[in-house]
Amino acid sequence: MTVEFINATFPLITITILIPIVAAGILFFMSEKHAKPVSIITSLVVFVITTYMLFVYDYNTYAIQFYEKYTWIPFLGISYEVGVDALSLTMVWLTAVSFLVAFIWSTNIEKRIKEYFIAFLILEAACIGVFVSWDMVWFYIFWEAMLIPMFLIIGVWGYAERIYAATKFFIYTFFGSLFLLIGVIGMYIYQYVEKGVLSTSYFDLVNLGLPFKLEIIFFLLLALGFAIKVPMWPFHTWLPAAHVQAPTAGSVILAAVLLKMGTYGFVRFSLPWFPEASKYFVPVMFTLGVIAIIYTAMMAIAQTHIKRLIAYSSVSHMGFVTIGTFALNMEGMNGAIITMLSHGFTSAALFLAAGFIYERVHSYDIKDLGGLARFMPVFATLFMISAMASAGLPGLSGFVGEFLALYGTFKVSVLTAVLAGLSLVVGAGYTLWLYHKAMFKESELPPEKIEKWEKLKDMNTVELLSFLPLVIMMFVIGLYPKWWIELIQTTSAAILSKFIGG
Amino acid sequence: MSVLYEIVAGLGIPNFGVLIPEIIILLTAFVVFGIELFTKSRFWITTATTVGLLLAAFVSTQIETGDITFYGLYIVDTFSLTFKTFLILTTLFVVAILRPYLEAKNTYYGEYYYLILFSLLGMMIMVSSASLITFYVGIELASISIYILAGMFKRDYLSKEGAFKYLIIGGTGTALISYGIALIYGKTGSFDFRAIAETFVENNLDVGAIGGLIILIIGLALKASSVPFHFWTPDAYQGAPTPITAFMAVAAKIATFAVILRVMVEAFPFAFETWNLAWALLAAASMIVGNFVALRQDNVKRMLAYSSIAHSGYILAALAAPTEIAFTALVFYSIVYIFMGLGGFIFLSMMERQYGWRDSHINDFKGLAQRSPLVALLMLIYMFSMLGIPPTVGFFGKLGVFVALIGSDIWWLAVVLVVMSIVSAGYYLRVVIYMYMYEPTTKAKVNYTFGEIATLILMAGFILYLGIYSTDFWEISRIVVEMLMQSIGG
Repeated sequence: MTVEFINATFPLITITILIPIVAAGILFFMSEKHAKPVSIITSLVVFVITTYMLFVYDYNTYAIQFYEKYTWIPFLGISYEVGVDALSLTMVWLTAVSFLVAFIWSTNIEKRIKEYFIAFLILEAACIGVFVSWDMVWFYIFWEAMLIPMFLIIGVWGYAERIYAATKFFIYTFFGSLFLLIGVIGMYIYQYVEKGVLSTSYFDLVNLGLPFKLEIIFFLLLALGFAIKVPMWPFHTWLPAAHVQAPTAGSVILAAVLLKMGTYGFVRFSLPWFPEASKYFVPVMFTLGVIAIIYTAMMAIAQTHIKRLIAYSSVSHMGFVTIGTFALNMEGMNGAIITMLSHGFTSAALFLAAGFIYERVHSYDIKDLGGLARFMPVFATLFMISAMASAGLPGLSGFVGEFLALYGTFKVSVLTAVLAGLSLVVGAGYTLWLYHKAMFKESELPPEKIEKWEKLKDMNTVELLSFLPLVIMMFVIGLYPKWWIELIQTTSAAILSKFIGG
Repeated sequence: MSVLYEIVAGLGIPNFGVLIPEIIILLTAFVVFGIELFTKSRFWITTATTVGLLLAAFVSTQIETGDITFYGLYIVDTFSLTFKTFLILTTLFVVAILRPYLEAKNTYYGEYYYLILFSLLGMMIMVSSASLITFYVGIELASISIYILAGMFKRDYLSKEGAFKYLIIGGTGTALISYGIALIYGKTGSFDFRAIAETFVENNLDVGAIGGLIILIIGLALKASSVPFHFWTPDAYQGAPTPITAFMAVAAKIATFAVILRVMVEAFPFAFETWNLAWALLAAASMIVGNFVALRQDNVKRMLAYSSIAHSGYILAALAAPTEIAFTALVFYSIVYIFMGLGGFIFLSMMERQYGWRDSHINDFKGLAQRSPLVALLMLIYMFSMLGIPPTVGFFGKLGVFVALIGSDIWWLAVVLVVMSIVSAGYYLRVVIYMYMYEPTTKAKVNYTFGEIATLILMAGFILYLGIYSTDFWEISRIVVEMLMQSIGG
């Protein structure tokens, strides 16, 4: 795999990473009342920069654009190397949007405001860093650095069981990423021994030509790290705990950005680095993907806690990304990437909806709700759109990605596609059921609830503003997917170049 | 002139030019002793110590050409100068925070300063030793001063117990070392590292020689508080006055690692298979025991003592691989451990003053982030650095050892290191959880003196700075190891 680079004339990506860190540093010395405006402006700037990159990006040929490389630790062959292709750019843009939404939503935070925003700003920098790094050590630094703020966000601003959830999240992810580290260092040593090249650059490691046995070992080591992050069944148990306990904005980031890191890892590293092993493990990945899709969808049906339900549905959607990725064809890959993007929007919107309900009703339990649609119509509409997008209604974003992923899978394995497709029905089932129970069923409402509900206010401007970008994007992707698919087309082809040629 | 030069050369007067740092430290110790004896002026004691240390640090960075002096007993090279500079700086930081602690506790004063200086002198001799005799003298001078320092709270039962335990076990260690030296001398007929290296060749060894090496390793492992010879560590660390604990846990440890590296590489380069295996086993045991026992500690000081045992394991693991990168990783990790170790223990020393000299129980940490955000943030940085999460330098320390182990195909030890790092998350995170996620039980802010907070911020700053840009330190470590390897001819 030879890759072209278009060097950045201006270190745009480095600046994008630095802006939130600098803002966090300044915020530490400022008074509490500045925390909200500073953070929102910062994330808005990041959003504008990434949007600019999205429009300037040349998607006709595959090249790493806005590329920067500086030597860093020559003794170990480590450089600082950042750049984007369409996949990275998609993810970076999704990160920027999610953080913007999270910051706008967080204006209602009242507890330890300054620390809250500092943690989120550091988290934003780390998340962007993960998606743009091409040097494995930097990738790992960002990948791990992200744990610290997320650990604090869940643990400090979460709900009753927050410390347990935060620790579980941390240790689970730390465990996985250390195996990732073993794998990467193993490859790095192999490269040094076999080729005499001392480098941790992605572009050196991608052309390593490992023997099959080693490929299998390294694939498994890396896959463990990624699978925990995705999370794939059976490594998903940290996710419901973390989601249920995390504050709303934390859940949004967790679902929209952090889960994508795992699937990003599979697409970015596992496939191009270990083509033979990837082919070899297709049945395993399909099986795990299908189990994730069906099993967690079933689990979702059984939940009465709104956030837990959405968390399980996330695992289920991530299953589609897995099978789409390992279909190893263009449709599947495009589908996987679009699902990643779309899931970012839908899950973020659903978690916002859950937070919205909690703020009004002070309960996440579905059985405490009911009949809300009559009292807050605007919210009901937006919630409906998000839920439908998540369930995969044509015309909204969820459909495009899942359809493409299933189509790609169908070409490879009919059984997998059919089983995964069946679970779409289950998915629609739990989403509709959630919506029905929470928003309708007015006739069953006891009078004291009606009395209470009547005092509730519909969405305020802040909440509307944080919902809007997500809902707009659901429509954009759903109605005109061609635009985004064109953007990622060359990248998907480049990633799959070892499988389909070209 | 030439006649004088001839006479000097004939008598063999040592080259004192390269010994100026040691001389300064020695003189400072005597000056402090004198001040303590005649005036008891606390201001002058502190000032004299600080000036002496600064001067010594400055001089040791200025020496450009090394030398082997004292009739081949004492070597001044890049390796020893680098470690000396860092040891002096470490001592300087300890001295910077010593005064408020001692005054609040209302205990002796001057004794601490000159004993620390004598101990530092011992460590400097250790890292400069070119022969087993110098090495022995250095280790004894450093240890004996520390035995006394550990027991300075003589009305405090724990301090007495810890010091006594340390004395007994440390004495055993010294006895073992001298026995090992005797056996090695019996085999090779020399104390000089280079002469030993020539005779001490793998396929030419009998039981006595191997036994001598093993006994020497055990003695050294005892000084480095490596499992299973670690039993003195938790008690001595817990009982000692906390700034002294910082001194023991950082300076003494670093000097020990340096001397271990020097003795192994310079004296036994051709018996590396033996000591590789020995250190690998000791390192694995230290990591496993240190981390698991630390999980159960409610006393943060004791927890950090076990964590320091675990860190001995991480650092010594590098000795399992006889490669340049492994030694470089060892030097790098030793040097950067200064920042984490000092940070952690100085933090405790500050907390201890706050909470009326109770044990540094983890409950005292509750809600610290709300009471004193800056202080809590600093402790957070130390904890994550010890855990090895980027962007702190702890990550690079572990990364170096890790690369070295995998590079030499010692997978089992690499896996132990990884798994134990995960285990260690349990107790490091606990401190963070108590600081950030519990509600405070009191409203009291942490009071700190300027010296304390400046040192703590400096340590955290170094940890973060090196976590992003560790290039220079890797370069220093590489040069140090290159010079060390050169002296044995590759």
